[in-house]
Amino acid sequence: MTQGRISANSISVFANMNIFIQLLINGLIAGSIYALVASGFSLIYSTNRFMHFAHGGTITVSAYILLTFFKLAGLNFYLSAILTVISAGILGYLMHAVLYMPLRKRGSSGAILLIASVGLMILLENLMLMIYGADVKSLKFIKIAKGMEIWGAIITPLQLVIIISSVVLLIGMAFFVKKSKLGSTMRAVADNPELAEISGISTSKIQGMSFVIGSAIAGFAAILIGLEQNIEPTMGLSLIIKGFTGAIIGGVTSLPGSIVGSYLLGLVENFGIWYLPSGYKDAISFVLLFVFLLWRPTGIFGINKGIKK
Amino acid sequence: MLTGYLYNILIFSGIYAILTVSLNMAVGFTGLLNLGHVAFFGIGAYTSTLLTMNGVPYIVSLIVAGLVSSVFGVILMYAVRKLKGDYLALATLGFSFVVYSVMLNWSSLTRGPLGIPGIPKPELFGWTINTTSEYLVFTLIVATVSIYIINRITTSRYGKLLEAVRDDEVGLSVYGKPIFSLKVRSLAISAFFAGIAGSLFAHHITFIDPSSFYINDLVLLLTIVLVGGLANNKGVIIATVIIMLIPEALRFVDMPSSILGPARQMIYAIVLIGILLFKPRGLFGRIDLE
Repeated sequence: MTQGRISANSISVFANMNIFIQLLINGLIAGSIYALVASGFSLIYSTNRFMHFAHGGTITVSAYILLTFFKLAGLNFYLSAILTVISAGILGYLMHAVLYMPLRKRGSSGAILLIASVGLMILLENLMLMIYGADVKSLKFIKIAKGMEIWGAIITPLQLVIIISSVVLLIGMAFFVKKSKLGSTMRAVADNPELAEISGISTSKIQGMSFVIGSAIAGFAAILIGLEQNIEPTMGLSLIIKGFTGAIIGGVTSLPGSIVGSYLLGLVENFGIWYLPSGYKDAISFVLLFVFLLWRPTGIFGINKGIKK
Repeated sequence: MLTGYLYNILIFSGIYAILTVSLNMAVGFTGLLNLGHVAFFGIGAYTSTLLTMNGVPYIVSLIVAGLVSSVFGVILMYAVRKLKGDYLALATLGFSFVVYSVMLNWSSLTRGPLGIPGIPKPELFGWTINTTSEYLVFTLIVATVSIYIINRITTSRYGKLLEAVRDDEVGLSVYGKPIFSLKVRSLAISAFFAGIAGSLFAHHITFIDPSSFYINDLVLLLTIVLVGGLANNKGVIIATVIIMLIPEALRFVDMPSSILGPARQMIYAIVLIGILLFKPRGLFGRIDLE
């Protein structure tokens, strides 16, 4: 009698354990994608000091560029992927040179740059909608593989690749910002643009460089998302909202902060649907974004670089 | 056929004129860069729809739609009271996202992405507004009254106080003026009329879904206000008509509707970016966007 009850309990504990690990893995996959989006966004924010909302547009356009090279032009996938990352970098630079630089020269505030960026986002989204149509496209590069089982949770090889490659890229980027010459110059511009300018650093050049690097990372993110999910014109908007929610949670001016914030967001979102219907996944991140903006705009790490005066 | 088409454009112009003039009151006059105006528009549309479909008389629904939006305006202003500049803009944009996802997910109330079809035409004191021409008359009356009220407020002494909030908060506080309460009232009034516009919109097209109250429409509203010029009601009304008419020219070019929709949005976005780049004061603006 007593024994029966104990075993029934332990089964339910086991089932919960499996759900727990599955949600943990799903959270890590989502977090990896968000972290890629957020790290590029945060790199651009830290040197440029404005919210580059059209970063989501870069992702959408990159995904369609990959689709064009790989499916329509019939190129080799890895070549297409490299071309996509390069095009994303060029696109980022163009945004900086054609739109943001002239606006900055007029002395536009961060709020104006944000509005321009929202306009640019809508422009890119609708351009893709016009060229490729509203229907969902798929790369179909990787055949749907049977998932592996890890402690009762399912993960596909592609998802494993997503997590590993994101982590490698993010660690590489953290090293780049911390150790390389260009990285430390970027940090100098982020810390104090006027002082950097006086010390002979060309601020606008460094700002342009962060656009190139940040957007190239967005291009890389677009490849992973294109493989894992479908490609559609609206994909960039939801991703940038996730990306900058992650960045704001961790502290937008700090690269490690925004990476940690993004993984937290991925986990909170996925564990949230344990209690809420899965439709509320997006709502969770919107609410988090709103709450953090209101009560802790410097993020959980409280990194304050010019956010509050 | 052609008159019906023309009437439709005019009805939309009327609805958008209320929306943009009320947005201008917050952004242009009071200097609150509010990117949550579409959310108030949506809240008004859903409130009015749900009330009339549950048997509440139209005139009551219309007013309550405005009031509910207004209450959300007060709540939003209380929430963002410490933020300024791009953080204020981002938080209000976040508010739009939150409201959008609630509309999308609270299916038992809003039917989620399916939207609500079959919204009844308004009935006022026994007069059912059925035809497009009647609806045009009704819209123009509501729009005229709304814009008249907003214009009276913004040109009055009170309006000068709002402009002082925008130009010099510290200076104004020296005179002992309640800055925060001025901001709250300004956003509440602005949101009230956005709610009224939402009601007009819902009962005109008789179908609403969350996608009508999202970032695409936000870009349209910002474009109109910036083209017309901040803190200039007349300019904004003229800009509304111009911006509503521009994409109509596309209709006469032979284009499939799958291209027409995106093309229209692209025009709005290009006009928005162009005005920020080349003529930040708009056509008739008096002040710069901070």
